[in-house]
Amino acid sequence: MYDVLQRWLSAGVGTRRLLVVFCVAVTLVALVVRYPDALHDADETARANAALDFVDRAVGAGNSVFPDQRLLVEARGLIPPDESFAVSVGDPQPGWTDLTASSAELFLRSYLLPRRLDPNARWVVCLACDRDAHPGAVAVWEGDEGLAILRLAS
Amino acid sequence: MSVRAVLGLAALNGAYLILGVMLLWALRGLRRWSDVLRLAGLGYLVGVAAFGTVWTQLLVVRLPFGGWGLVLTLAGGTAAAGAAGVLLGRPRPRGFVDTDRPASAASLLVAAAGVALTGLLLEALFRSARLQSLQAYDAWAFWVPKGKAIYDFGGLDQQVFTTFPNATYPPLVPILDAAAFHAMGSADVVTFHLQYWFLVVGATAAIAGCLYRHVPAWLLWPSLVLVFTVPRIASGLLVPQADVLVDVLFVAGALLLALWLRDGRGWRLAAAAVLLAGAGLTKREGLLFAAAALAVALAASYGRHRVVWLRLLTVAAVVGAAALPWRPADAGAGGSIDRLLDALRLSFDVLFDTALWSVVPLVALIALGAAFAWGDRRVAAYLAALLGLVFLGGAWVTYAFRELPITAQESANPIVRYTGAFVLLSAVATLLLLASVWRSGTEDLQ
Repeated sequence: MYDVLQRWLSAGVGTRRLLVVFCVAVTLVALVVRYPDALHDADETARANAALDFVDRAVGAGNSVFPDQRLLVEARGLIPPDESFAVSVGDPQPGWTDLTASSAELFLRSYLLPRRLDPNARWVVCLACDRDAHPGAVAVWEGDEGLAILRLAS
Repeated sequence: MSVRAVLGLAALNGAYLILGVMLLWALRGLRRWSDVLRLAGLGYLVGVAAFGTVWTQLLVVRLPFGGWGLVLTLAGGTAAAGAAGVLLGRPRPRGFVDTDRPASAASLLVAAAGVALTGLLLEALFRSARLQSLQAYDAWAFWVPKGKAIYDFGGLDQQVFTTFPNATYPPLVPILDAAAFHAMGSADVVTFHLQYWFLVVGATAAIAGCLYRHVPAWLLWPSLVLVFTVPRIASGLLVPQADVLVDVLFVAGALLLALWLRDGRGWRLAAAAVLLAGAGLTKREGLLFAAAALAVALAASYGRHRVVWLRLLTVAAVVGAAALPWRPADAGAGGSIDRLLDALRLSFDVLFDTALWSVVPLVALIALGAAFAWGDRRVAAYLAALLGLVFLGGAWVTYAFRELPITAQESANPIVRYTGAFVLLSAVATLLLLASVWRSGTEDLQ
């Protein structure tokens, strides 16, 4: 073992450089394999992004959370930026995604900034919610799958 | 997306670049325009880190973050750095060609090929970034809302910074996001992906520029291009989260420390202090990385003059002081020995998964062995110890936070994201180490 180590440490210039060349060769082979794939992936992503329409792009991950992106567009249009909103979620409905019930509130908090979340707000984003829990609320927008935007009389 | 938004982002990133280059000029002087060009990427990263670090402190003392504040900080910082340079008697850059270090035609050709390949990739990434929608969970769930809150409310809004997920994460990335929104004129979460493209360009230029004089072009460019094409790094480059930035700031800082161990030039320490302070305010593990880099540099400079240690301790104090105003991270509660072994095994499996990182860690191990035998042993020891600590840090995260399952699934355990820092560092380390082995051959021949 000691002899092997001694021989390794006293290896000549040729051996040392051969090892460096070997490392560069391995790197080059990996690069030849990886580079076209990386370029292709970036190109495909660029094409896919360009193919999206304006709303799909603006909503982003919301498309995976909400069954209908119109709710998000309407919420931004109806709720003034300096007001707050509440989120009320009822039983899951046919057409909802796996994320609708669990992630809707968090997504809305992010998406609707600078509008703040406030359980007592006069604007309520309703996802199949119990309308009786919001007495006096008027639906200012209603979609399918139990989605609605309610406004309480101030 | 509008042209105005893209131009605004370009202007903002140009301002980071000018700030950082001016800081470098004050710290070391830039004799030629070729030096400015070579160190422009490093200057950009220094500018980003300095801007983010200063604004973290300003937000903590409740100074409002607005468009004019942004402009004044960048202009004031640049002017202050320029004044410091003048006071220190730094000469203005003159001429372009470095007659002391002529480059061979072959190395210029290799460098041109490397730049072309990198440029092609960056062009495709630019097209991808400018129309990218916000998809990653961590990005829409807390990183971007924090940036929007700073933009909309002018500070660390209590609701967003206490009730959103991962509220204690440091704010440097949200600050950069908020600055990007100001530069674009709105909280445009599509076009702002270009901010992350600028960071990738800056990182590539920084690593290439720092290593240009220390590593032959034929050794530098294949590894550099490869690291930005390995699957896990390539897929995460434009995700608006803190992972890539913390890795880049840490690796650039660690690289400067490695070069400082070799040549002892003081400006490298000062620039490393800015970069590591930025890393500590980018993500919680950034502080762990910075502490590891400084501790290993202290150990590697054992036997040198006491002044050397004093300088390193000053850097550590700067990094610590920058991080102090932000809330400390939860240290985790730990677990059993079995969990520790499982965590180590998981880190090992992730690190040597070629589907994630290609051959980068494997080549780094060979380079370390070769450098210990024939190359620069001090730098090899520094890099080996730092890589070891970063690796153990990853295992510790899994071990200490018992709620994390032992899995490489990214939605459940951050080990894959964390390992990106190791892989980027190992790619840079490989270059320095193999160059020292190659040169040791030259020295023997002379």
